[in-house]
Amino acid sequence: MAREVTEECGTYKGAQHRRPFWLPAMLSALVLLAVLVAAGMGAVHVQFGLLVRQLIGGGSLTADQRIILFSIRLPRIVASLLVGAALSASGLLFQGLFRNPLADPYVIGSSGGAVLGASIGVFLLPPMSVAGFGATTLLAFAGALGSITLVYWLAHVDGRTPVVALLLAGFAVSTMLSYASYFLEVLDHDFGTGMRVLTSWLHGTIAQPTWPQLAIVTLMLAIGLAGSVPLARNLNTLALGEEYATHLGLSVQQTRIAVIVIGSILTAAAVALGGLISFVGLIVPHMLRMVLGPDHVRLLPATALSGALFLLIADTVARTAIAPAELPVGVLTALIGGPFFLYLLRKAKQGDLS
Amino acid sequence: MKPLIEFAQVGFVYGTRSVVRDLDACVFENQCIAVVGPNGAGKTTLLRLAAGTLAPASGEVSLQGRDLRLLKQREIARSVAFVPQNIEVPFSFTVEQFVEQGRTPFLKMFGGPCGPDYEAMRRAMELTDTWSLRTRVFNELSGGERQRAKIALGLAQQPQLLLLDEPMQHLDIGRQFEMIDLIELLSREGIAIVASMHDLALIQGTFSSVWLMSPDEPMRQGSAEEILRPEVLEVAFNCQPHHRHRLMDRMRNRMEHIV
Repeated sequence: MAREVTEECGTYKGAQHRRPFWLPAMLSALVLLAVLVAAGMGAVHVQFGLLVRQLIGGGSLTADQRIILFSIRLPRIVASLLVGAALSASGLLFQGLFRNPLADPYVIGSSGGAVLGASIGVFLLPPMSVAGFGATTLLAFAGALGSITLVYWLAHVDGRTPVVALLLAGFAVSTMLSYASYFLEVLDHDFGTGMRVLTSWLHGTIAQPTWPQLAIVTLMLAIGLAGSVPLARNLNTLALGEEYATHLGLSVQQTRIAVIVIGSILTAAAVALGGLISFVGLIVPHMLRMVLGPDHVRLLPATALSGALFLLIADTVARTAIAPAELPVGVLTALIGGPFFLYLLRKAKQGDLS
Repeated sequence: MKPLIEFAQVGFVYGTRSVVRDLDACVFENQCIAVVGPNGAGKTTLLRLAAGTLAPASGEVSLQGRDLRLLKQREIARSVAFVPQNIEVPFSFTVEQFVEQGRTPFLKMFGGPCGPDYEAMRRAMELTDTWSLRTRVFNELSGGERQRAKIALGLAQQPQLLLLDEPMQHLDIGRQFEMIDLIELLSREGIAIVASMHDLALIQGTFSSVWLMSPDEPMRQGSAEEILRPEVLEVAFNCQPHHRHRLMDRMRNRMEHIV
């Protein structure tokens, strides 16, 4: 066999040295810029220059501007960053688990489960908390965990998850759970807060969060992302198929359980602040895969940052585009993401759909 | 000398269908074995038993004297590499990212690959002539290139034994000859090879021994000359007597071609 004689300077470093390290830095800078721009936008305009000066210490904001910024706009901005990062990262994890770029926390019913769990908390239980986490948050996690486990069990046949099985199982489970949430609403007797909360969840509105709420969700996001780091490499191996991954010494079962739990934490974090926001977990990882390739180790930080950026932009558009009215950001992402999803579905080889 | 892999009275059953029965066989270092037999005779099952991904229903498979069931899959995968017939990769991994997966049994949970891992990958890609393909996308490779990349992944495991499941499948004749060259090269490198083979004419001259599996019969072992005889193959592959001249033609023509 004619073999190429390879003489190359330095030692071979695999695909590592082709990892663009500038990308996370650039994305972080963009996120910061977007935060400043978004903070200025709204009914009361705050000049960009003023914000920058406030940031570097020479602030001269009026009291009104301070209240608008720190009690209204910034919590909302932080919330959209958290939701975007959590949805995108969980989308990436689920896509790796199902070996399928169409998996998204909304599409596969995980978000629906979280909403049902959270609704149970709102409608049926008195407000309470366990170790700082509200019952609603914990139930959202339990709901996400339950629904993804159910969908996985339904759609997973002989070590594979056919696209059609995944989409149908996800559709059925998520429809069932959403309507179960409506059912709870009917049972509700006080016709007040609960109903408003549920409506905003089902529309995918990023509500006006309080700082303690944000702290809890930040913690969940941090746990979720930290847990994803060791999983990313395993997902690369899992991409070769369960049997082959098992041969290579990967504990497939452990990886599977870890992805489901971590993905559910992330989904619950997103749903707690934003409800059902569709397709973000699909669009963001897909775009990045086109730029960075499919290596999950490389994708994870970039996906979280880009997700945060994407949803901040989407939410800022949603709250300012038709002012004084506000569009739920879920409506916007569905309008962008729906066609995108269909395009991906069309692009998937016919063979994969059987 | 201890065998690398030893099958002792091994049986395997799919549902109620017994595929492998009372199998006794050994693979030693430097051996290059072709496993032949009709479809459904259990060739792939045998390879999976040797790779530890299937556990025998009866008997014992051992790696250098140690029962495979008592070893962690990670440990097995550092000595035995199994190259499956088909690999579906849903994402567009490059060849080097693909080959990197062969280092999985060596990586710690929180650690990435480092110097020795890259050295093993580089060596694996050089041996299989896939070094120049390393930045190409695996799914976009031709059949022959893809087959070599799969073997590179197996070699990245730095195995003593390489199990190849139908390495010639979907290859044109030129690529089949290249695959034969590669198998000979790896054999010279001291890697024991067990390959399931469909095309009997490619075996002679490369494989030191042949295992003939047929349903409901004990496995026959011997040299290529002993096994690849028309009267033996006729029975094993259940060929009609009036096809005998075809069988003989095929074996003779192809052999001359290779010699």
